[in-house]
Amino acid sequence: MASPFITARNTVNNADVAAARLGPRFGRMDLTSQFALLAVESFAAHFDSMPRERIAICLAVRAGSLATDLEYWKGRDAAGGPSPTLFTYTLPSAAIGEIAIRHRLTGPGLCFVSGGDELLAEATDLIERGEADGCVCVFANVVSPGLVEMISTAPATSAHAFFVRRGKPHEASSGSDIETV
Amino acid sequence: MRERDVAIAGCGVISAVGCGVESLRAALKNNTSGLHANERFTGPRFQTNVVGAAPLEVPDDDNPAHRLASIALREAISDFRRSRGDENLNPARLDTPHVVSYQANPDAPLANIPAERIGLVLSTTKANIDALERLSAGRPCSDSARRHLQPDLLAADLAAEHGARGPIQTISVACVSGLIALMQGARLIQRGAADAVLVVGADHLSAFVVAGFTALKALDPSGCRPFDRDRCGLSPGEAGAAVVLVRGDLAPPPAITLRGWGSSNDANHMTGPSRDGSGLAQAIRVALTAAQLRTDQIDYVNAHGTGTPYNDAMESAALRTVFGATCPPVSGLKGMLGHTLGAAGIVETMACVLAMQERLLPGTPRLSHAAEATPPSLVKTPRAVIQLNHVLKLNTGFGGMNGALILNCPS
Repeated sequence: MASPFITARNTVNNADVAAARLGPRFGRMDLTSQFALLAVESFAAHFDSMPRERIAICLAVRAGSLATDLEYWKGRDAAGGPSPTLFTYTLPSAAIGEIAIRHRLTGPGLCFVSGGDELLAEATDLIERGEADGCVCVFANVVSPGLVEMISTAPATSAHAFFVRRGKPHEASSGSDIETV
Repeated sequence: MRERDVAIAGCGVISAVGCGVESLRAALKNNTSGLHANERFTGPRFQTNVVGAAPLEVPDDDNPAHRLASIALREAISDFRRSRGDENLNPARLDTPHVVSYQANPDAPLANIPAERIGLVLSTTKANIDALERLSAGRPCSDSARRHLQPDLLAADLAAEHGARGPIQTISVACVSGLIALMQGARLIQRGAADAVLVVGADHLSAFVVAGFTALKALDPSGCRPFDRDRCGLSPGEAGAAVVLVRGDLAPPPAITLRGWGSSNDANHMTGPSRDGSGLAQAIRVALTAAQLRTDQIDYVNAHGTGTPYNDAMESAALRTVFGATCPPVSGLKGMLGHTLGAAGIVETMACVLAMQERLLPGTPRLSHAAEATPPSLVKTPRAVIQLNHVLKLNTGFGGMNGALILNCPS
């Protein structure tokens, strides 16, 4: 069987997120979900080449959901209690749900709290095992200023994503963004 | 055994029904509920005071996630070593945390399996979120407690303390985390990255989570009643649960194995399940295909069964879709354990293992009157059976996540 290969990739920064026009739902998401969703947006057309239930999502988040956790917990003494909407995003995997909803991806999902080094290997494994035909891989790192002292790390807001698929490299469009796994 | 089989070869747990696997076994036999009034913290605005609290040794421990995970890991490793004849522990001595006699040996945790071939997969949703509460309130917080706010650092420390020097991963996929972590541990073994994987789930009871579910109006004030006609929400719980997964040939027979699994996403709503159960049905079908089993070969289904109106209705719909009118016996254990979040998939899978060993169909604690449209095969109280060869374990979670795992127990 031909090795799975990366067929598209994308990186987003603060300016990209600030300029994004993805509707009111996007504005209600936490920052990690916004970065992750936007990182995937540019190569969504690749999802049309296979059944949506055969596309997995592998997410890695460096700081988990701690930035959102902190924001949510600041509302604990508010009159109505903390925000139910924010609570929804106090899960490291929340971005998987948002990506799945936007692109109707109903395949498997994996979320690692990590630096993302395992993403390619895990995507390849899911495909080679036959659990998926393609895999959206996303790494997001959001460390808000309030979190810096708490976990002794530098502020960060970034995400990158790539799409791994089963098949042969010559099936994909040509370009420097294609590599064999 | 089939090629690439992965076996469950050791179990350890601390939950609302006690410390040690024997406490869970007894609760399963007696249909005990571990839900009680919360004595650890209170909040005037919490929707309920009924929770599933574990008997933590130090009530004001500032690192409860680490403690829950460590207690479970120590017992699971002891259980594995005892089954191999490497250790002679009296299970009765595991009744309370402070009398667990096994000391982790980082040089040889699993007897003759090299530490470099032992991985660790941690499943958690909030790790040591207690530290965020403490730091926000200006309360004392140790360096390790603060460090374990970050789940991957908790996993790294647990691996170092328990001698796992192979691959270390931290899985956090909402309330399906435990089931997904078991699948991931099995994948690591099947692809040759490890010979054994310690899969541990831990989430502690926190004001953070109780306040969140209160905000969502998702708690049952009188305690959860899965599949009951009067159910109206879940009960927060906590647990540490660990299993030792090993390559099939390393498990003493008769070994219970992970036969097949599937996962899916509803792609529908962030907090609510799909109304028709189609996502969960998809995960079950994928698991059945992977396990090479027909629907009539499943002997028992252990449901997610949170006790929320939508979840239990969705699960019932998914089971109808897959099994039709001949659904196997079904029950749910959150009336016993509460919702233990990242530990749920592991402690509930462990309950399935015990049920297979005991040839027992677990009941559904706190169920009084089955709701309309629940499977007619819903099991209210435990009963003996001749054999449980194949058990299906289900979990679902926020973000539309669904998981289905099939266990096999040889006849």
